Amino acid sequence: MKRHWYATPYALWMTLFTIVPLLFVVYFAFTTKSGEWTVANFGKFFKASNLPVVADSFRLAFLCTLICLLIGYPAAYFLSARNFPLGRALVVLFLLPMWMNFLLRTYAMMTLLEKNGVINTVLDALGLPPQNLIGTEAAVLLGMVYNFLPFMILPIYTVLKKLDLRVIEAAEDLGAPPSKVFSRVVVPLSVPGVVSGITMVFMPAVTTFAISRMLGSGMIYLIGDTIEDYYINFNNRNVGSALSLVLMVLIVISIGLLRMADPKGEGGALW
Amino acid sequence: MVRRKRRTLRSVYLALLLMFLYLPILVMICLSFNQSVSRAEWTGFTFDWYKKLASDARILSALKVTLSVAAMATVLSTVIGTLAAIGMHSMKKGWSNLLTNVAYLPMTTPDIVTGVSLMLMFVFLQWPLSKWTMLCAHVAFDTPYVLFSILPRLRQMNPNLYEAALDLGCRPTPALFKVILPEILPGVVTGALLAFTMSLDDFVISYFTSNTDQNLSMIVYSAAKLGVEPTMYALSTIMFLVILALLLVINRRSKLEEI
Amino acid sequence: MYEEERLIEIQGMSKSFGETEVLHNIDLYIRKREFVTLLGPSGCGKTTMLRLIGGFEMPTEGKILFGGRDITQVPPYRRKVNTVFQKYALFTHLNVFDNIAFGLKLRKVSKSEIEKRVMRMLRLVKMEGYEKRSVESLSGGQQQRIAIARALVNEPEVLLLDEPLGALDLKLRQEMQLELKSMQQELGITFLYVTHDQEEALTMSDTIVVMNGGRIQQIGDPKRIYDEPKNAFVADFIGQSNLLSGVMLEDELVMMAGKEFPCVDEGFEKNELVDVVVRPEDIMVVGADVGMLVGTVESVLFKGVHYEMIVSTGENRWKVHSTTMQPAGTRVGLSIVPFNIHIMRRESSGGVQEVEPQ
Repeated sequence: MKRHWYATPYALWMTLFTIVPLLFVVYFAFTTKSGEWTVANFGKFFKASNLPVVADSFRLAFLCTLICLLIGYPAAYFLSARNFPLGRALVVLFLLPMWMNFLLRTYAMMTLLEKNGVINTVLDALGLPPQNLIGTEAAVLLGMVYNFLPFMILPIYTVLKKLDLRVIEAAEDLGAPPSKVFSRVVVPLSVPGVVSGITMVFMPAVTTFAISRMLGSGMIYLIGDTIEDYYINFNNRNVGSALSLVLMVLIVISIGLLRMADPKGEGGALW
Repeated sequence: MVRRKRRTLRSVYLALLLMFLYLPILVMICLSFNQSVSRAEWTGFTFDWYKKLASDARILSALKVTLSVAAMATVLSTVIGTLAAIGMHSMKKGWSNLLTNVAYLPMTTPDIVTGVSLMLMFVFLQWPLSKWTMLCAHVAFDTPYVLFSILPRLRQMNPNLYEAALDLGCRPTPALFKVILPEILPGVVTGALLAFTMSLDDFVISYFTSNTDQNLSMIVYSAAKLGVEPTMYALSTIMFLVILALLLVINRRSKLEEI
Repeated sequence: MYEEERLIEIQGMSKSFGETEVLHNIDLYIRKREFVTLLGPSGCGKTTMLRLIGGFEMPTEGKILFGGRDITQVPPYRRKVNTVFQKYALFTHLNVFDNIAFGLKLRKVSKSEIEKRVMRMLRLVKMEGYEKRSVESLSGGQQQRIAIARALVNEPEVLLLDEPLGALDLKLRQEMQLELKSMQQELGITFLYVTHDQEEALTMSDTIVVMNGGRIQQIGDPKRIYDEPKNAFVADFIGQSNLLSGVMLEDELVMMAGKEFPCVDEGFEKNELVDVVVRPEDIMVVGADVGMLVGTVESVLFKGVHYEMIVSTGENRWKVHSTTMQPAGTRVGLSIVPFNIHIMRRESSGGVQEVEPQ
């Protein structure tokens, strides 16, 4: 009956390797290299030429989320259609990439976009001029959409699949034509899925560093890259921590705002 | 007529999206068998890049790191997660909610922040960033997956099952192994498989928590900084297929979307 | 039937979960070979009582004696009782044989003996030939039989059954009621049975314990409980009764529905407010000119054996069972013989409302 003690190793491990490290971020964000309390780290970051980086990151992440929504919603809608028995099997194909190493997928994308890559080779064979693909914002955006699209499809699909068929029938019964059923019933009811889809795409998009490194070839520089640099290359953990903290706060605020659209948390997300 | 058109639209749309999702990977897999170093032309089929892979000491040692960390992380997180699920199941609601929220933490924190936070702590504690620190981090992000594959099974379980065992004369601890464990075993196995996959797959957190030891993802990343090369295609292809196989097994066991 | 020897004795037992008290100061004894049913609506504490006897919960106050020995603190695996759980709680990873053998294996009974006893149990519950089947492939009724066999094979002195037939359909439930009763008599084991179905309780039990709100309302054999409900709750719960409030004018005379009725109860104070129960089958339909009450038939339902009529007499509406039909709108007279009027003291805890039929 003292069964609850079984959770002790878990509680200890999660405290030591999840909670305490996050407290370290806070601590480092507010101290100097010699360990004195300061808020200068935030100033250092914001004074520097970093503001455009933040703006770029959020702009790209926003665009990525928007594109994923525009592409992903119809996909989820088609897959969840009741007269489409194949949908159930197909959806697995759409979701599998989600669990797969994004590095590998980005690497594959690189292969296509490179200066001497597959796309330019094909263009060349067709007698068209080669395009400057890699190292552009468009390439990074494409990489993000490519990586994060399944995260948009999953929650919307889940919500649509659970949609009560009777509600749609009731709308039809009340005289709504298909287009109105969609806009007045299906879309409002799928809001929770859209909300968690947006969260699940926006968060990794705004924090990515490898995608921009690999597809931006150094030309595109995002918050994630800045954090990586502060830690790995500039060896300035304090500014890096301040930046991580700002990023987390911004994310928490964005998620919080989004959650207001889905107060019951019906989106379910991954879990 | 209209209906027919809509169906065609649907099929074309979904097919295009699938192409978008899988074509780059397929191209990469094909190129891993291409004789020429360039992506420009197909000069013939070869296994050379795979052979080169097998003789590359750096890659072999990364393979060892990846597999050993994944294996150890799987064992540790499965044990910790299973015990936790059983413990949390018998807790008062407030406490178990608290611990569940702790499990959401690594899932909602951006990987990069999780990575740097662990790095900060390890450096502060002066633990050398090696595969051991990587292991600590992996267990921390694997355990929630184990926990969340087992908890629903415990919740679905007939609450009288454990009592039935006691009623029939079984003592509490043996009853755990004789009755509860068999009941949640499918969840335990799924959780272990998920943990193994996630561990095998991880890049960001490993990148920040290990210095001396590199896993395969880290090798791919550092190679990518220098540009694309066919051995990496071969490596990526193998990793891709292994992870795909693991995911298909997990999906068969429990619908991925439902975990 | 049962012996006089008391097997289980519950003394002053209370149980609270946090702030809520689910059982209040329960005193009860169960005799050897007795079939006792705890009857009451959901939330009345009957299942908690069973779980306390099974050892799955500890009482907040009071104690439980088993054969004279205090077992309040004894864990379930050391009690000589076995339980048949509400949703069977069969072990899905074991087949039918291993489910039944579970308890015997723990007690290190020899293999041949286990084999023998399991087969005997399968015969008893009429499930021979199923021993290798997985329990998930069985129907609800079959699973129930295995759950009973799994408990009985350990030869408990008391078998606790928690609404064991709740999930079965009506016909199967009635069959199982008879079978359980004959099993109990054949094996000579004490049964403690929990149900919210009064018909089930009346059919099977030697003794019924009616519970409500964590308290025992009445203990007695089925006939007594049915004929002489101690309060309005029992009367209402046991049968579909006409329940009225009345005034005891003097011994053997009660005033209800605006009329005076001779009855057989006495010992009340003058003008004491009482609850009166009249069963639908005890009301006679007579000519409008000779009835003690006169009313109009409001509705008629054919119920198979009898007609159920609602007769309105101004303020009151009566549920009446009769084998002859009177069409709706007919003026009829109603008569009740003194013996069929049940007077009950009002209890502060009873919370009696006037329950109008329909």
